This record gives sequence, structure tokens and C-alpha cells, in this order.
Amino acid sequence: MLLEITAIIRRDKVAPTMRALDALGLGSMTITTVSGRGRQGGNIMTDIDREIPAEYESVSKITRALTPASFALEHSLTRPVFWIPKRMLQIVIPSAMKDDVVDVIMSVNRSGWMGDGKVFVSPLEESLRIRTGERGLASI
Amino acid sequence: MKMIRAIVRPEKENDVVLALEAKGFPALTKTNVFGRGKQKGIRVGPIHYDELPKVLLMIVAKDAEVPVIVEVIRNAAHVGYEGDGKVFVSPVSEAYTIRTGEKTE
Repeated sequence: MLLEITAIIRRDKVAPTMRALDALGLGSMTITTVSGRGRQGGNIMTDIDREIPAEYESVSKITRALTPASFALEHSLTRPVFWIPKRMLQIVIPSAMKDDVVDVIMSVNRSGWMGDGKVFVSPLEESLRIRTGERGLASI
Repeated sequence: MKMIRAIVRPEKENDVVLALEAKGFPALTKTNVFGRGKQKGIRVGPIHYDELPKVLLMIVAKDAEVPVIVEVIRNAAHVGYEGDGKVFVSPVSEAYTIRTGEKTE
């Protein structure tokens, strides 16, 4: 049984995550540059500036320090969408290792602030190593 | 839970995101991708384009919300011409929020 783990994490946590997964014997992964936003809708000011109290309204958080994006927010008819750069790791693992892998990814990436990311576990039907033609568990 | 992957026109990305946000789905991930569809790209005169730029939007949602999201994406990204894109829905068995360690099934 194979599972695919999709982890969306901070950019600076890719190397520590890779080292931690290496220690588990999982060297292989696919890394994609993505942008995203979570439940907070991309309002990252509380995350960057820890002086700002969390109870501020999201708009005031954005306009307190005027950035190009917040300038556009005030001066254009089309509201800009705020995207936060992230890295997406995709790892295919045997289903027996699921708990270990998820625990490792979560402990390495947890900072306690918004934007730590998400881990998704989804079933995977087939895997094939192109060089040798091995299938399933043998191919990962 | 389900993962919804929508491949849409880059110029429609903002519309789709704002439409989803208005329906209460602010969280999503996007990547710029290149691809072609059934029409094998487009041909303009003698030139054949088969790596057309698109935006891939990834949303993970509860099963019950999937039809709503798909419909919102469909309405926002629809132009009516070839190249409008595709929406794929695939299963996700578990989702974890790293900050809290909270698990959703």
C-alpha cells in the first residue's frame, strides 16, 4: 500500500525537513515552488510583525505599514490577492510509515505561528520506476 | 476529504480566487504550470504552441463542500472557448495543520 504525502511548508524549512526525512531513510521527494494562503486569507502581517496584536482587523494590519500590495488595495478597483510563497513537498511512502513521517514533518516545521503549513495524506494506486519497470513498494 | 485541483486560465485566476473567498473558501495553493489539452495546443499560422501557461489551484475541502467549490470555479473560470481548463477531484484521507498538530479526517 502506498500513500502520497503532500506537505506545504515554509521556504526555509525545506532543508531541515529533508535532513529529518533522510534520517528516516526517505531520501526521495518532489519539491515544487507554490504560493498559497490559508484560513487567514493571506494576511501575514501578524506573522511577520509579532508586535501587532492578533485582534487587529486584517485590513488595518495590512495598511499599517504601506506595502505595494496595500497601496494597490487602497487605490485600485480590483482587490489584489495576497500570496505567500511556500514550498510543496510530495513524498510517496509505504503506508506503514505514515505516522512516523507525519510526526517528523510536523515537529520540524512547527513554529507555532500562522503559516506553518499543512500536511495532506492521500491514497496512491500505482507507482512505477521507469528505469527498471519495478512496481508498487519495490519502486519507492 | 477531497483535493480539488483546478487548471484555469492565468487571467481568470484572480476572479476564481475572489469568488471562492466570497463563498468562504479563502485557503488555497497555486502554481504556475504549462500544459496542453485535447486540442494538442493551438496553432497560429505556421507556429504550433503546445506549452500553454495555466494556473493550477489546489484546494482541500470536506466532501460536502466539493460540489459548491467546483461550481464556483466553473462559473468564475468559464469563458466558453477551448483552453478554459479542467477541474480534478481526488481523495485525501487525512489533513494535518502543522501549527497545532490538529488532524482532520
